[in-house]
Amino acid sequence: MADDRVISAEEIALYDRQIRLWGIAAQTRMRAANVLLVNVGALSNEIAKNIVLGGIGSLTVLDSETVSALDLGGQFFLEESDIGSNRAGAASLRIQKLNPRVVVSADSSNFREKTAEYYAKFDIIVATDLEVKDLISINDMCRQYSKPFYAGASIGLYGYIFADLVKHTFSIEREKSNISVKLGPESSTRSIIDVMVKKEGPKLKEIITKQENYKPLSVSMHSDNLSKLRPRSMMKVSPVLPAIKAMWKFHEDAGSQKPTTESDLVKFHDLVLDACRELGLPVGIISPEFTASFAHNIGTELSPVAAILGGVLAQDILNYLGQREQPIQNWVIFDGASSEAPIYSL
Amino acid sequence: MSRETYVTESLGDIYERVKTARVLMVGAGGIGCELLKNLVLIGFGEVHLVDLDTIDLSNLNRQFLFGRENIKKSKALVAKDTASKFNPNVNLVAYHANIKDPRFSVAWFQSFDLVFNALDNLDARRYVNRMCLTAEVPLIESGTTGFNGQVQVIVKGKTECYDCNPKEVPKTFPVCTIRTTPSQAIHCIVWAKSYLFSTIFGIDEDESPDLDNSVNADNALEIENLRRENAELQRINDAFGTSEFCRLVFEKVFKIDIDRLLSMEDAWKHRRAPVPILYDELQKIEDAGINKAASKVAADDQPVWSLAENFVVFKDSVEKLSARLVEMRKTAPEGSPRPALSFDKDDDDTLDFVVAAANLRSHVFGIELKSKFEIKQMAGNIIPAIATTNAIIAGVCVLQSFKLLNDDQAHAKAVFLSRRPERIFSTESLQPPNPECAVCSVARCGIEVDVDKLTIGDFVEQVLRDKLGYSDEVSIVTDKLLYDVEFDDNADKTFKELDVGDGTFITIIDEDEPQGSTPRVNLEFLVYAKELTGDGQATYKLTHIPQIPRRPAPKPSEVGAEEVATGEGKSAAKKRKTEDDELVEVNPTDAKKPKVETVDEDVIVLEDDETIEIEE
Repeated sequence: MADDRVISAEEIALYDRQIRLWGIAAQTRMRAANVLLVNVGALSNEIAKNIVLGGIGSLTVLDSETVSALDLGGQFFLEESDIGSNRAGAASLRIQKLNPRVVVSADSSNFREKTAEYYAKFDIIVATDLEVKDLISINDMCRQYSKPFYAGASIGLYGYIFADLVKHTFSIEREKSNISVKLGPESSTRSIIDVMVKKEGPKLKEIITKQENYKPLSVSMHSDNLSKLRPRSMMKVSPVLPAIKAMWKFHEDAGSQKPTTESDLVKFHDLVLDACRELGLPVGIISPEFTASFAHNIGTELSPVAAILGGVLAQDILNYLGQREQPIQNWVIFDGASSEAPIYSL
Repeated sequence: MSRETYVTESLGDIYERVKTARVLMVGAGGIGCELLKNLVLIGFGEVHLVDLDTIDLSNLNRQFLFGRENIKKSKALVAKDTASKFNPNVNLVAYHANIKDPRFSVAWFQSFDLVFNALDNLDARRYVNRMCLTAEVPLIESGTTGFNGQVQVIVKGKTECYDCNPKEVPKTFPVCTIRTTPSQAIHCIVWAKSYLFSTIFGIDEDESPDLDNSVNADNALEIENLRRENAELQRINDAFGTSEFCRLVFEKVFKIDIDRLLSMEDAWKHRRAPVPILYDELQKIEDAGINKAASKVAADDQPVWSLAENFVVFKDSVEKLSARLVEMRKTAPEGSPRPALSFDKDDDDTLDFVVAAANLRSHVFGIELKSKFEIKQMAGNIIPAIATTNAIIAGVCVLQSFKLLNDDQAHAKAVFLSRRPERIFSTESLQPPNPECAVCSVARCGIEVDVDKLTIGDFVEQVLRDKLGYSDEVSIVTDKLLYDVEFDDNADKTFKELDVGDGTFITIIDEDEPQGSTPRVNLEFLVYAKELTGDGQATYKLTHIPQIPRRPAPKPSEVGAEEVATGEGKSAAKKRKTEDDELVEVNPTDAKKPKVETVDEDVIVLEDDETIEIEE
């Protein structure tokens, strides 16, 4: 390679259809980024595919588990012949084939042995399908070095994404509006810090630079922001949010299992109601049918749902790297039964 | 524990339907690759995929079933090979073919439980929509553009079909804007591509879809002038292949024609007058050394080229294209149509010509020049496309398919992916069919026809009048008019003589408007060509006697017509309010402020759509 910092004509040809969307500067920033994926599952298969196709600099896949037949249900990077071998190693070989320009490597050690210094080597850390205590621990280590952190899980038909981008500055480009943009806070987390107008042909474009401030998972998971909603809006909050919190609690109490017995299901339903109350939401948003459906889905993964969550999460990573577009602030809750995916700032 | 464990636990009974489902996927491109991966992993029983396209380098940033080694190979076949490794239990059948091929008959469509559209063009989408309506097979339609996408569920008689809402038509420009008074780079690009390129190397401009050549009182004289200019250019074409050719073309379009425009002084009273450019002057600058060969300039598509650089590329591309055409003419077999070149954004010589010619013209008219990269997008109608959006939309398609397979159509939804800070998707309940839709609100009937024997006259008399009770006031159309009350030239011709054969749709338009009533809705026959034996007289057989209701009475105001006229990039469905449009706002004080990001979704941009009057 002649000059690593300059994007080549061949790369421009390969990435043509996306450079037309986000420009060369953003693409150049993406190709310098080192990303870490902690744990290999259906969701991380999707994330890896999308960001490697997109042209990041390097990807490290960290997983000490071995491939089982269960993994084959939702993961296209794994095949029958991989059963018994390390998940990170097996997946990384096929991930590499998607784009020879990206440096893909596998780390088969246990993530629980990693220190903050390990995470500090990466530009973005993404942890999927882990227990909440592990997510908090990784998030806190990332925070020590102000590293952006994403968590996510695909839970059968349901799922979530959490983002802690610490402090992120980005720009959006649009046709100039008649309403002039005022600098200053725009929401409790976001402020407008700069506006630039440029002429593009007969049209005026404005480039608005904004900053988002984030909370770590340990703080955000106890947020009572939703209790400040008007009652009408509260009734529309997705029941999947309290269900996810109840799932974490259930795992804490019962170990990594899914509620299957009659008494498990009763207990799980009560946990969902408790989570609802903690969030300051009316328990009327929860029905027993919903908690039963959610319980069935715990511990499973489903390809189309992983594709949706992995698409949204990967695009947010690419936008973060490109320093363009509004990022997720800070939870996406997905309900595959209704195809709803609200974003909550918690 | 197996690959089926998770799917079984998560989907329950639906999985039993999925396992035995036989589905068709039309298109194996951006959405198609993602969709196929999902269908195979989930374990759909049998998946057929059809795509006529081959793999290109610029597909590889998102179509992950393909690698560099597959470039130029069939998308359908390679997609099948790659995806079959994801789950050996799925039966995959791939066709490298056009979905409009007659072998994909209505009966074949009927053999599927569900059809997924993963297409990139209006024409094929409309075709599959119509086939699915006829075959009464549910269709899941999808599309993406950049960060945005949508999924629509179509069930005949229950929901809107693809054509129930008007679709954006490709933008055209008045011919005078292009030929006489360009004011934007796009006008010069269209000129270079649809006029200059076609006139020199290709077919005549009248066949180009970008130009609106309609003649009216205001522009009649100007159109006449333009015809004269064309004729002059044709004469220059006699010098084709000689060393003088390039100079003659250049002087004609950048000097002589511009001088003529300048003579219409009134036209330049209120706009900047064009300034001709001289071949010899640019040649002097080149000779003084712009220190870059044409190939070197053309290889860099990011910067905007200087005037002299555009000149160099113009000459070089004219030379290369002329040489190609001369060669083609030499080797063309006797009696074959005269060889021509057509513009192709991926053919660098044609693109370089359009870039250089457009920029030279922009310079003449004082319009900002553009880079090759930008002009490629405008001339080639390139739509940005990314892996993530396709993955998300394909995932939504599969979730909607679960609803249909589970006979839970009531909970299927139209889903829109758009960038909003408060939600990823906007959803909408399925809307009932538009009663005025010309595609789905029609009566349908199959007809077996002995196409060698049945004439249009017999068809009108025996089928339409005697059997179905039509009056004489009907029109019969396929892709052309076959018959109406004032046009009976074809009455004695057989179906075969009129190219009506197996798989042809014939539409009967009722033009009889009885007092106090409305005409019947259109009746669409699907022809099954058959040799009918038995009763010597039988030349046709209807599959059933169709019910043909009357059209709804017209509403006082014609909102629909207005939507077509202003259809500005967004479908009517997108404009409609979503059922849950309340912002989920966490900070109560924010709720009152306008959301900056959502504003640009609905801004109405007035296009510079000036109509030019030529004052004499």
